[in-house]
Amino acid sequence: MEPIIQLKNLVKHYGDKQVLKGIHLDIFPGQVIGYIGPNGAGKSTTVKILCGLISDYDGTVIVDGIDLKTDPLAVKRKVGYVPELAELYDVLTPAEFLGFMAELYGMPKEVADERMQKMLAAFGLETNMHQRMDTFSKGMRQKVLIISGLLHNPDIIILDEPLSGLDANSVIIVKDLISKLAKDGKTIFYCSHMMDVVEKVSDRIVLINEGMVIADGSFEELQNQQGNQSLEKIFAHMTAKGSLNDAADQLMRAFEN
Amino acid sequence: MNIVNRFFLNIVLLPSSIYERMGVDIAQLKSILKIKLAMDDRRAGSFQQTRAKKNKNPIKLATLGTMLLSLFMGTFFLFSFFVGNDDVTKGTIYFSIYIFMLASTLIADFTSVLIDVRDNMIILPKPVSDKTFLLSRLLHIVVHTSKLILPMTLPAMILLAYYRGIGGVSSFALLVFLATLFTIFLINALYIFILKVTTPEKFKTIISYFQIFIAILFYASYQLVPRLVNKAAIENYRAGDSIFIWLAPPYWFAKAWNLLNNADFGISAMIFMLLSIVVPIASIWVVIKYFAPNFNRKLSMISGSEGGVAPLPKNGKIISSTTSSYLSLVSKWFSRKGAERMAFLLTYKITSRSREFKMKVYPSMGYLVVYLVMIFFTNKKITVADLSYGSNSSKILFISLIYFSSFMLIMATGQIQYSDKFKAAWIYFTTPIKEPGMLLSGAIRAMIVKFYLPLISAITILSIVFMGPAIIPNLVLGCANQLFITAMVGYISVRELPFSHAQDQVKINFIRGLFTFLIPATVAGLHYLIYSFMPVVIILAVLSIIAYWMVMDSIRKKNWSNLISTYED
Repeated sequence: MEPIIQLKNLVKHYGDKQVLKGIHLDIFPGQVIGYIGPNGAGKSTTVKILCGLISDYDGTVIVDGIDLKTDPLAVKRKVGYVPELAELYDVLTPAEFLGFMAELYGMPKEVADERMQKMLAAFGLETNMHQRMDTFSKGMRQKVLIISGLLHNPDIIILDEPLSGLDANSVIIVKDLISKLAKDGKTIFYCSHMMDVVEKVSDRIVLINEGMVIADGSFEELQNQQGNQSLEKIFAHMTAKGSLNDAADQLMRAFEN
Repeated sequence: MNIVNRFFLNIVLLPSSIYERMGVDIAQLKSILKIKLAMDDRRAGSFQQTRAKKNKNPIKLATLGTMLLSLFMGTFFLFSFFVGNDDVTKGTIYFSIYIFMLASTLIADFTSVLIDVRDNMIILPKPVSDKTFLLSRLLHIVVHTSKLILPMTLPAMILLAYYRGIGGVSSFALLVFLATLFTIFLINALYIFILKVTTPEKFKTIISYFQIFIAILFYASYQLVPRLVNKAAIENYRAGDSIFIWLAPPYWFAKAWNLLNNADFGISAMIFMLLSIVVPIASIWVVIKYFAPNFNRKLSMISGSEGGVAPLPKNGKIISSTTSSYLSLVSKWFSRKGAERMAFLLTYKITSRSREFKMKVYPSMGYLVVYLVMIFFTNKKITVADLSYGSNSSKILFISLIYFSSFMLIMATGQIQYSDKFKAAWIYFTTPIKEPGMLLSGAIRAMIVKFYLPLISAITILSIVFMGPAIIPNLVLGCANQLFITAMVGYISVRELPFSHAQDQVKINFIRGLFTFLIPATVAGLHYLIYSFMPVVIILAVLSIIAYWMVMDSIRKKNWSNLISTYED
């Protein structure tokens, strides 16, 4: 099978600092990739490159046979992005905001209207559809953001901490949604710090640290390599400098004076 | 969408076929513009602090207000038509003022409204080309600007219609249009230039300093120009006598207007005509063609959310050891240990580093400097000999200097309770603070040390040097009065903890205005009357010091029930 996303020797510098040191990844349709790593490992940078937010990188990114550098717009059409921070034009209503998103993707208005109505209803926001979002809670904004990333029915969905601010019931909905989207043949790129969620939703886990891929495989494969333990433990084992137990001990010892 | 916006939207989309040929997606362009204009309407509403209710009145009033203000400014510009003895001169002056006013208004709007960093996260990941995005931004600016310039140029249009007829107006309108284009791209180029030479993090700081500079320059020119320029010279002034003025775009527009209006078909007139048409249009093309891609990328970095751990800046140790040792020293001298010192240090540091605070306070410092310069300019008769103690002019100068010196301090003190980051005030409410008054007095003390100590030290040294030690009692009285007034401002107006509230425009301006001008002026007048009666001065100085001390002490003793402070979420 042809990979839908190919990263070849992806390198990114910020000034003198090399954030990505040559990432190689082949991602196949229908996969849910759990993309994990400690703060500053280069997760967000990879995501921003994939969405076209950062264009001055070295290496090659090929999405569905299209080079991101030569035709960024074609790539952007295939990608749905749910950003981490609740970046919204919050003086607008969800209907206006999502309508705007749909127009940028060139969707027919009737399709977009019907779809957003159904999606908002599914999240329990149908009554808030024509209210300005500046009064919304974090969770409500996050739901609107998730819808804005899915509305144009993209083949590739990039989720950056999509569960932040959501209540427990909405978390169940989104997790369920992710596996259904994958079954439908969508490729999902899931970035998160929540190891227990990543462990459950993703069928392939890519762990990066200091700009390099240090582990890549299904959860079972990682367990086979690293011993039969939770993803949280595996993560800590592979990325922490020194023992985390020691850190907690040191914190406790600070009270001794 | 209201009728004004729809009208402008249709107008700017008229040349759609040209945009299309440039590689712009018209449907996307239209939807971006529509949404941006809708947001502009509502932002005016949220500015009025009406969050919950959908009140349509304030929005209309705000738009109307802006337009009326532009109209008023435009009426003021008319003076240029009564200056100079030929049309080129009149036109040059008009276009200079026009371009300058427009540019400075736009610079302010650019950072807040027209360049929205959220665009990066929302629009850039969508399949929108850089060209479309930039054009949408430009047209948004055009609409925004039109709402400003139409009322602004209306008075001149009416005047010209009356004196010159249709021909005069239409040629003028054309050139106003070109001058506007030119101004917009001037600003655009300036922004791009700033983004090129500096890091995006510093971008906003530079722009805000620029705005402060413009505000001060305005005030200075308003105060100084009428005094410096001699009236007869104005009436006979002729632009174009100097070669340098040929380089100034307002002169080109004026020349071109003169060509159209007075049929002056000389070679130089033709050249300037050509320049005033070609330059604005060429600059559109240059900005779109060459700057667009780079501009967006750089702009996407302004938001500063790049990576979790941004590498520390090279000059990471910004807090130099000298500052912090000076600070720890003065904090020991001027504040008590505990909550008061914590508030002192916090206030001192935040006011040094917060761009928001500087934007509110520093322009007033500029005004003060301008005002002092003006006093010296207009009173050329004052000599060093006159400054010796006892002369009347030294008396006036001394009193005005000393009572003006608190201007900054009072401005700053009135500001300490406000901050954009007011939510961070949870620290006061979750920690066991018994006497919140200590926080207030610490904050006020920090302001005194920061904005008054250096100034008053300079005044003390200067007045002792020029007027001799005999000035000391009056100096002490003036100084104590300033501190007393400041403490009263603190006592009355600062009823909330430092940096704990969002800015509330209307309320503070009134109180601050009252205290800043009226009270110091009254006290200054009284001081002037008793200036020479030494025993009275000494007694009052002592009383003033005591009063200051008592007010500060009662600020310290304020408890939670005296404060209207609540945590704002």
